[in-house]
Amino acid sequence: MMWRYFSLIVGMMVLSTFIPTVVDACPSCKTIDDPIVQGFKWSILFLMAMPYIVSGLIGGSVFYIYKHSHRTNNHKPSSNVKGV
Amino acid sequence: MNELEHTSYTSTEGENRPISNARLAVLVLLGAEIMFFAGLIGTFLVFRLGSTTWPPASQVDVRLPVGVTGLNTIVLLLSGFTMFKAQQAIRQGLQNALRNRLFLTGLLGVIFLAVQGYEWVRLVHHGFTLSSGVYGSIFYVLIGCHALHVLVAVFWLLAVFIGATAGRFSVDRHVGVEVCAIYWAFVVLLWPILYVLVYLI
Repeated sequence: MMWRYFSLIVGMMVLSTFIPTVVDACPSCKTIDDPIVQGFKWSILFLMAMPYIVSGLIGGSVFYIYKHSHRTNNHKPSSNVKGV
Repeated sequence: MNELEHTSYTSTEGENRPISNARLAVLVLLGAEIMFFAGLIGTFLVFRLGSTTWPPASQVDVRLPVGVTGLNTIVLLLSGFTMFKAQQAIRQGLQNALRNRLFLTGLLGVIFLAVQGYEWVRLVHHGFTLSSGVYGSIFYVLIGCHALHVLVAVFWLLAVFIGATAGRFSVDRHVGVEVCAIYWAFVVLLWPILYVLVYLI
């Protein structure tokens, strides 16, 4: 039963690619000279890159803070002097 | 408990954490904020690159205050520097310097908001409003969201300043100042990007 539904959905998806109006829904598939295509293209590329940039920034910050705290710890004298 | 006393990451069990919970929470919050502004910038890119002329033909007579906002950008960048110096002050245990630098940072933030507000009022009087087509919508939404974030940062800074006045921060315990400084750095560093995108390009 599941296999039948899956085949139906895949079949409909394949069929939809033959309908020009559905294909045109993809901004990158429109006329390349249209400026709006360039707008969508750069916007999509920008948004696709952002999660990686955000993950990198958070990961980098955590790594930097961790290394910085370790360095502070290693250079700290064993006495109770607060380093003022 | 003497280990890592600058940032007080040590748990009650004595186990060293790589980063304090507060800092991690602010970093995750900033991740969400960056994605929010990325969505707005993505929208701006669609309109900007999708238009053959910018400003659009219907808004060609609109002149954004590039010079004044440029000076305002310097004011905000200066506030980022004073916030950094405030962080340095509390790391060295200088309570008076912390209070003075926090006050100066807040003052610069308020000046930034006041100039932005004044320029907005002038633009609205010239007929450039939120409903002035795509140009007006994206300008007020993008710049307005940033101004709202600066306002939140100013209130946060006020809370930290009150805490500093009450002597709640020390060399050992100043994570409240640190997380506020991270958020302030975000609103400061975001602004030049928005300024270049919206005012200059």
